[in-house]
Amino acid sequence: MNTEATQDTAKFYFQIWEWLIILLVVGTVIVFMPVSRGLALTIVFAVAAIKGVLVVRNYMHLKHEHLIFYLIAGLPPLLVIIMLLALLPDIAFRH
Amino acid sequence: MEADIAIHANAPAIETDSLVSLPASRVALWIFLAGEIMIFGGLVACFMLYRIAAGGWTDEASHVDWQVGTINTVVLLTSSLTMILALAAVRRNDQQAVKRFLAVTVALGIAFLGVKAFEYHGHIVEGFTPSKGMFWSFYYTMTGLHALHVTGGIVVNSILLIMAIKGTLWARGETRLEIAGLYWHFVDVVWILLFPLLYLSLEAK
Repeated sequence: MNTEATQDTAKFYFQIWEWLIILLVVGTVIVFMPVSRGLALTIVFAVAAIKGVLVVRNYMHLKHEHLIFYLIAGLPPLLVIIMLLALLPDIAFRH
Repeated sequence: MEADIAIHANAPAIETDSLVSLPASRVALWIFLAGEIMIFGGLVACFMLYRIAAGGWTDEASHVDWQVGTINTVVLLTSSLTMILALAAVRRNDQQAVKRFLAVTVALGIAFLGVKAFEYHGHIVEGFTPSKGMFWSFYYTMTGLHALHVTGGIVVNSILLIMAIKGTLWARGETRLEIAGLYWHFVDVVWILLFPLLYLSLEAK
């Protein structure tokens, strides 16, 4: 690999890191801004999800992987969401 | 983005399963990570359900220091950067850079645990032990399990660093660093989700 490509690769990974730090600041500061609790929490978790996707796609290279890797990685969160939704009515009606 | 694609195109082939032509080591690691997602996902789901049922935990959570959590997040995000730079270095056969980036990754991992130990000490001195309440039980379980994973990653990365120093890493260096890196980035992603859940979500008024 030539020097230019090497520098571009390092630069790309630095850019991802910079975005992660910017998003961390946004996600943290929003909690203390004069916005509704619901909006603040929505932004906080949306920002966290974007950060997670950035790491998984770029640092874990999932964006270059075969579909089977998406299925392996995607099934467990889906099962967790199903469990959450299945138990939620019980919690909601009991309290 | 082109640079990232280029590094993949130039990467030497690693061992593959002849049946499906997929890299067996990466498939195995992703299946392992799927199990890990179930463990942490189950914990997070239980946390959310118990929180809805309990109607808050704001008082308990007010004793958690979001500033310390933010510092630890920066430390772990930076360690992910140095880990991926170590992989990029091994692909261009820059052995000095591999050693340097691995050493920094290990150091940042230890720094993360040090900050976590400082936090635990503060909480325990104040009387906030795991048996103090449901929030603290979840807090210690989730952060403790995560810290255990960080410890595992530090051990693996330290072994790779020692191998690099001894000169025994390079035969299958790329595969080893890639697999160790996947695990380390996963640990980072778990913290990215735990941080807002434990430190920020209960802070919002």
